[in-house]
Amino acid sequence: MSKWTGWVAALWVVTSAMAQDPTATIKGYSDFRQIDLSRLGGGEILSARGALMKFRNGIAGQTCFAVAAPAPEVARHLQTWDPAPYADLKVYADHALHVPCDSTDFCQLDFHPNEYPIRWLLEQTAVTTPARSALNVSRAEAARLAACPQKPAGCWAQLLCDRASAFQQKGLAGVQPYEVAGDTVAPAYQLRTMLLEHIAVSREFEPLLRAMGLLGSEPVRSLVPFYYWTLFEADHHATLNLGAVYLLPAGAHYQLADVQYYVSNDYYASITLYEVWPIQVGGQAGSLVWRGDYFAAPSLAFTKGTERIAYGALMLQDIKKEIRDFREDLRKNR
Amino acid sequence: MTRSGLILALVLAPCAAVGAADPVSISHEFDAAYSYVGGARTRGAGMVHGTVDEHSADVKYVLSPQITNNLLLRLGVEWQRFSFGVPDRAPVPDVLQQISAVIGVDYQIADQWLVRAEVQPGVYSDFRDVGWRDVDAPLVLGAVYLADEDLQWIFGLRVDVRSQYPVLPAVGVRWKFADQWTLNAVLPKPRLEYDVNDKVLLYCGADLEAGTYRVGEQFGRDRGEPALNGELVDFSEIRLGPGCSWKATPDVTIEVDAGYVPYRSFDFFDPTIVYRSHTAPYAQIACHARF
Repeated sequence: MSKWTGWVAALWVVTSAMAQDPTATIKGYSDFRQIDLSRLGGGEILSARGALMKFRNGIAGQTCFAVAAPAPEVARHLQTWDPAPYADLKVYADHALHVPCDSTDFCQLDFHPNEYPIRWLLEQTAVTTPARSALNVSRAEAARLAACPQKPAGCWAQLLCDRASAFQQKGLAGVQPYEVAGDTVAPAYQLRTMLLEHIAVSREFEPLLRAMGLLGSEPVRSLVPFYYWTLFEADHHATLNLGAVYLLPAGAHYQLADVQYYVSNDYYASITLYEVWPIQVGGQAGSLVWRGDYFAAPSLAFTKGTERIAYGALMLQDIKKEIRDFREDLRKNR
Repeated sequence: MTRSGLILALVLAPCAAVGAADPVSISHEFDAAYSYVGGARTRGAGMVHGTVDEHSADVKYVLSPQITNNLLLRLGVEWQRFSFGVPDRAPVPDVLQQISAVIGVDYQIADQWLVRAEVQPGVYSDFRDVGWRDVDAPLVLGAVYLADEDLQWIFGLRVDVRSQYPVLPAVGVRWKFADQWTLNAVLPKPRLEYDVNDKVLLYCGADLEAGTYRVGEQFGRDRGEPALNGELVDFSEIRLGPGCSWKATPDVTIEVDAGYVPYRSFDFFDPTIVYRSHTAPYAQIACHARF
C-alpha cells in the first residue's frame, strides 16, 4: 500500500467513526435504551437478561462496558485471551489449536481425579456405553469412549482432535450431532435457532455470521478464527469444549464471535458476540464493547418461572465476573 | 358476563395473550404431600388427654404466567388438612383444614434481587360450621439476594393478623459449600443436603408446619371447655429427620422422609389454653412437579 492510499484509508476510518455514533448503533440493535459513557468509563457494566425464547433450550444476556485500551488491542485480546489464570472463572486449562490441529495440541489434557468435578467427568466417561451416555457424544464417539475406560484423557484428546479437525475443514457443517444423551442434538442448529430469535442482533452481525457459515452460507475461507480447547467447571461438573473466535474489522469498529461448537456436558453450544468501538475513556483512547451471550442447554427446557429468572440473573453475574477479569488481564499485559 | 366473570377475564387476558405469543412463558407448580404422625401423649390445662395421632395432606397448584421479562404472576389453589385421632371429649380439634386461593407476584427488582408477594385468601377452620369468621388471608413477603450461583440469602415475612404472632420475620440461606453438599437453611424446610448423583439427593433437616384456624361455635361446649367456642387456635409442629429425594424425570421429584416430631402444640391464645404433644414418629411422602 502506498503512503497516499494509507492516508486515504486512515481518513476514511476516522470519518466513518465520526459518522457512526457507537452508542446510537448499539441502542439500535441491543436491549439497552440508555448508555452513559461516563458511567461505563468509571467501570460500570450494563447488563440485561434476555427475554424468554420460544426455543426452549435457549437463554440470552447482553452486557455493555468500556475498556481503557484502543479498540484494535481490545479486539485482539478478546480473540486470544486465556482465562485460566483467573481462579474465579474455574478454568482448569485453555489452549490454542494449530491449523491443522493434531494430537500434540491436546498433550496437556490431564485429569486430576482428586477434584469432584473432574471425578464426575471421569465417572460419566467410565459408564458410557455405545448406546447411552450423559455426555454430548455421537454413537461412534460413545463406542470409542466405552472401549477405552482405562485411558480417558487419551480418548478424550483423540475425540476432541477429530472434532476440531472436522470443524477446521468444514466449519459448522462438519460438527457431528450429539446422539446418545437422549434426543439427537445438532449444535449448529441450536446456535442458528437462538440467533434467528434475535433478529436485530443477527442483522447487525450478519456479515460476520455469514462469513462463519452460521446463517446457512458457505464459510469464507479467508476468515481464519482463533481455535482453542478448554477444560473448565460448569455447574460443579468438569466440562471440555472446543471453540473458535472469529474477528472481522468493520470500518472503525470490530465484530467478534466466540462460538463453542462442541461442549462435552451440561450445555449444548454457545455463541458470544462482541462489537468493539473506539471511544475516549478518561481522555485516552479506549473502547466501548457490546457483548451478547447465547447459550443452549438441556436443563433450560425444564427451568421455568422464577427459577428461570434466577438462572438468567446468575448467568449475567458470571459474565460480569469474566469481563472484570478480562479488563484486569488487559491492564496487566499493556 | 357477571362482574366476577369480567374481573377474571381481565386478570387472565394478559396470560392468554402471553401464552398465545410464547408457549413457554407459562409455568406450573404442583406439590402434593401426605404424612402420618404416630400417637403422641397430649396434655394441657393440667390434664393428660391421651394419645393423638395425625394424618395430614397438602395439595398445591400454582400457575405462573410471565407478564414482562421481570414480572411473573402467581395464581393457584391450595388444600391442606390435618386430621387428628383424638380421644373422646379431648379439647383438641379432630380436623384443621385450609382451602385457599394463591395470588401473588414474583419480580426481579435488581440484578441480584428477586422478590415475592403472595396472599392466600381462603377458609382456615375445623370445617364444622363454616362462615365468614373462618376466612383469613395470610400474606407472605420474601426477597432473595443472589450472591452467586452457590450462595443465596433469603429474607421473609409472614403476616397473619389472626395469629397470636401476626408478623413473623425469617432469614435463610442456600449455600452450596462443597461440590456435593448444600446447606439449604430456608423455612419452612431447612435442610442439609448431599447430592449422591444427578438424580438422588439425601437430606437431613426439619419441617415446620404452622397455621391459624378457627374452631366451631360448639367446639368448647362439646369438650367441657365452653371458653373455646369459636376461638382461634395456632397450630404448630416441628418435624426432624432424614429423607431422600429422587428426580424421577427432569420435572418431577419424589421425596420420602421419616423421623420424629419433638414439638406439637394447639395454642388457644384467647383464653390462653395450650395443648402440647410428646414426641412421636412420623413419615412423609411428597411429589413436586415443575412444568
